[in-house]
Amino acid sequence: MTMSRKNLLLTYSLAVGVRYLFLHSDFQKDIVNRIEIQTPLNSFKRVVEGRYRMSLGIDPYESDSLHVPPLHLTFYTFLIDNFPNYLPYIFMLIDLLTGHCLYTFARRYMLKLYIKQEKNKHTYAEDALSQLLEGRDLYLPPQYALVVFLFNPYTIFNSAAMTTTTVNNLLLSLFFVGIIYDNLVISLAAMTLSTLQSFYPVIMIAPLYLTVYKRKESHLQACLTLFIYALSVIGIIYISGIIYNGYQFLDQTYGFILKVPDQQPNVGVFWYFFMEMFEHFRLLFLFSYQMNVTVLYFLPLTFKFREDPPLLAACFVTLIAIFKSYPSIGDFALSLALLPCWKHLYSCMQQVFISSVTIVITTALAPILWDLWIFWGTANANFFFGATLAFVTAHIFLVTDISFAYTKREYLLKYGNCRQINGKDAKLVLE
Amino acid sequence: MKILVYVLVIIHLVSCNKDSFTEELLLKPLYANKLYSHFQFTTKWDVDATSDSMFHTNLFPRAISEIVVRHNIQELHISLTAGLWRYETWGYPVVDAAPGAEVWAWFNPDTENVDKNWKELANSLSGLLCASLNFIDSTNSINPEISLRNSGVVQGQVNNTFLRYSSLPREIVCTENLTPWKKLLPCSSKAGIASLLNAGYIHNTQYHSVGIMFRPICADKACTRKAVELQQTVSLVYDYKMLGNRQWTLRRLFGQGIMNACPLAKESSIYVDLSNDDKFDLEPYPHEYITAYRGGYETTYAKYDIKRIKPMSIAASYEGKEIINVNIPPPLYASQYKTGFGQQNGGIITKLYNNHWADLNVVVLQNFPWYVPIYLHTMKIESNGNILQPTVLKYKPGKLREKAHYLEIGLRLPPKSTISISIDFDYVFLKWQEYPPDANHGFYIGSAIISAMLPLAKNYTGIPQDGSTIADSFNASRSGYLVQIRTETMIITLPTPDFSMPYNVICLACTVVALAFGPLHNITTKRLILKVTTKKKLSEKLKSFFKK
Repeated sequence: MTMSRKNLLLTYSLAVGVRYLFLHSDFQKDIVNRIEIQTPLNSFKRVVEGRYRMSLGIDPYESDSLHVPPLHLTFYTFLIDNFPNYLPYIFMLIDLLTGHCLYTFARRYMLKLYIKQEKNKHTYAEDALSQLLEGRDLYLPPQYALVVFLFNPYTIFNSAAMTTTTVNNLLLSLFFVGIIYDNLVISLAAMTLSTLQSFYPVIMIAPLYLTVYKRKESHLQACLTLFIYALSVIGIIYISGIIYNGYQFLDQTYGFILKVPDQQPNVGVFWYFFMEMFEHFRLLFLFSYQMNVTVLYFLPLTFKFREDPPLLAACFVTLIAIFKSYPSIGDFALSLALLPCWKHLYSCMQQVFISSVTIVITTALAPILWDLWIFWGTANANFFFGATLAFVTAHIFLVTDISFAYTKREYLLKYGNCRQINGKDAKLVLE
Repeated sequence: MKILVYVLVIIHLVSCNKDSFTEELLLKPLYANKLYSHFQFTTKWDVDATSDSMFHTNLFPRAISEIVVRHNIQELHISLTAGLWRYETWGYPVVDAAPGAEVWAWFNPDTENVDKNWKELANSLSGLLCASLNFIDSTNSINPEISLRNSGVVQGQVNNTFLRYSSLPREIVCTENLTPWKKLLPCSSKAGIASLLNAGYIHNTQYHSVGIMFRPICADKACTRKAVELQQTVSLVYDYKMLGNRQWTLRRLFGQGIMNACPLAKESSIYVDLSNDDKFDLEPYPHEYITAYRGGYETTYAKYDIKRIKPMSIAASYEGKEIINVNIPPPLYASQYKTGFGQQNGGIITKLYNNHWADLNVVVLQNFPWYVPIYLHTMKIESNGNILQPTVLKYKPGKLREKAHYLEIGLRLPPKSTISISIDFDYVFLKWQEYPPDANHGFYIGSAIISAMLPLAKNYTGIPQDGSTIADSFNASRSGYLVQIRTETMIITLPTPDFSMPYNVICLACTVVALAFGPLHNITTKRLILKVTTKKKLSEKLKSFFKK
């Protein structure tokens, strides 16, 4: 049983209604310019500026105002030139598409989980019944995912600000659809475009590899897929270079992401850290931080979640949102919308309450502290930094909690709920 | 016999040095109880500026000729200014100058590395004038295409890649700049009009500006021989309120009367502008009255020839009641200000006022430092509510920490209109070591320069391009009168981090990273197993704790 067509339609029209109301409200302008939503990397104002400079015959990548790669700039330029009055509605549509992708993904994912469970049921421990999926888990989580995405204020603000993150979220959700339906073309295309825009999705090669390997049972085929991916990324960069007379855009897009030259505050931990960093340690910490988000968790998590590539991809999405150099709440919107898909892990999670309360509080507190610092001058940078620190910590707790819950559930399915060894009390420990 | 030869050679050398020095002072009462005094010292020298003969100086300051030859300079303009020239009430000055320090130079077209020469020139000037011009480098310099033209003679094509302009609005101008400047004069401040420049008096003025201009000129009308010219200027604006009353005398303005002329000067004169509605008598009686017609306006000057006088002080005595007129502003003036509140987004508005009855063509040059990233697409030019399209738009985007933003807008201002140019910018966040010691003092944005050729010479005192002395500006009607209006400088306070926090921030941020690394490391490298728990009583726990 899936969500009825009528309910789905109702959800979408409600989502459009909320967005429309917000778009025409008085505080729309104040909210969309906030640094929690707009970063130098995803700001649409900078895209407009880049397009304007191009129209004057100035190389948009000569300065450091534009950090969108040429292919995406062409797309946005097309949008601005042809539908200047409908831009907010286009971004609204992109949001709805993203929501629908997530819904499709979640439905298929829950179904796959259920099929797998029915197949392996005989291997599970007898008292693990409480861990099993029920029939309603097939249709509730997709609905939740859809609603959480479409009605999350993060998403609404993000699309109202017309950030490029909105498009990136669509690409990433398409990637999820691609890997769950084993559709190589969609997942490859989505991943390529997403990598081109924000670089970090490059680590999604792990879930892609696992998906292909699980389907084809061949390492060669999987490697070939990655090869095609690498080829298309390099190919597009090469062609962009030819069209834009040179490769200075590389420094303004990927160089900008990796070197973090702009210290504009955002919801991450990077900005204040590199603002206050001693100059001679900058390179060391830059490397450490970039490795932290790209390679550090890449192999361990891949091995751990080799049976569940979508979960791996979701963990990566959350870790990227947390540790990327210019995170915005739009990035977190996607990782939060994926949470309902892990409904089967909820019973093993321990810190959901603390994390969610912290997220809610910091989301409300950060803008206040920002205003106190920037507009009223009664607080300083430390206040806002504290809020972002707590916000990030809450998300870290969420992602580590999910990883641990996955491990625990695997254990419980296999060995059951028994907590005694030879009649003596025992407890579960990681060793 | 030998001595005679030497003497002949020396006489020959001296007579060959075809140089001349002129010293002038212009006193002009301004609207709203102000007195403008402009000192103009001009040294002309028939010499080829690129040759070694530049080093055999007589009246020309050797320090300048060394700088010119070493840095391959064609033309050099320096001004050090404190205060703002109020165009709206004061009219146009002889020399326009922006608040703070302003330098621009044209290099000879055979210069290989202009940026290197420019940097070295700034350092030399810094030493010469005791000003912080050494802060000038490629990050705060621009090379405008239209606004700053050569004022001297040029051979061949003009190429703006050999031009550099920079302004330091934060520069504070005081005696330490004036003293080395005075040493460049042939008589220093020991004799002549320059002896009036007493630091204790001139820095009490509302506006003071010290300027140096070096340029190549023609030695004769046909321009067959090259020559160089050095103009040294000091502009001061006194406020009668600060003087006590409006009965000014040289003694009250400068602390002393004039003793004599500089013996090396060819001409030495003081001019007093008498064309103010509020009449005053001069004591002693001037040597000559000059009536000058220029660009449709008549001006009367009283001239004192200092070569003919004994030590004296000029005194102006107003009779009767003070006449307060309605201020009639000059044809074109401008102002600039910042909009927005807080430290997130801001805007800059430049307002141009055209009081002329016809269209005026102007060029607005804006030089935004790299820490003011502007959004060009937000630029809006409005004139009395209508959108105005620029006739020319030149823009070179800046770059964080590397290059200033340069914007030049050509505009045709409608008659009797107020034009506002608005543009948005973002506040940038710098690394903590990039803030100056007094971080909350703020960061300066330099003046905009508005250049125009005015069709009439109302309120205009500038020296024509073909002239070099104040006397040359009398009866100098031309087809247009160049003004280069400087607007106010602005100050923005960039948001600052907590400077005492680096260790705390590094520790806290690293802790958060560790919070992710630790659990993920545990989960991915360890297995879940059941382990027997041995429950101890609290007393046993304490015992085992103390045993350790």
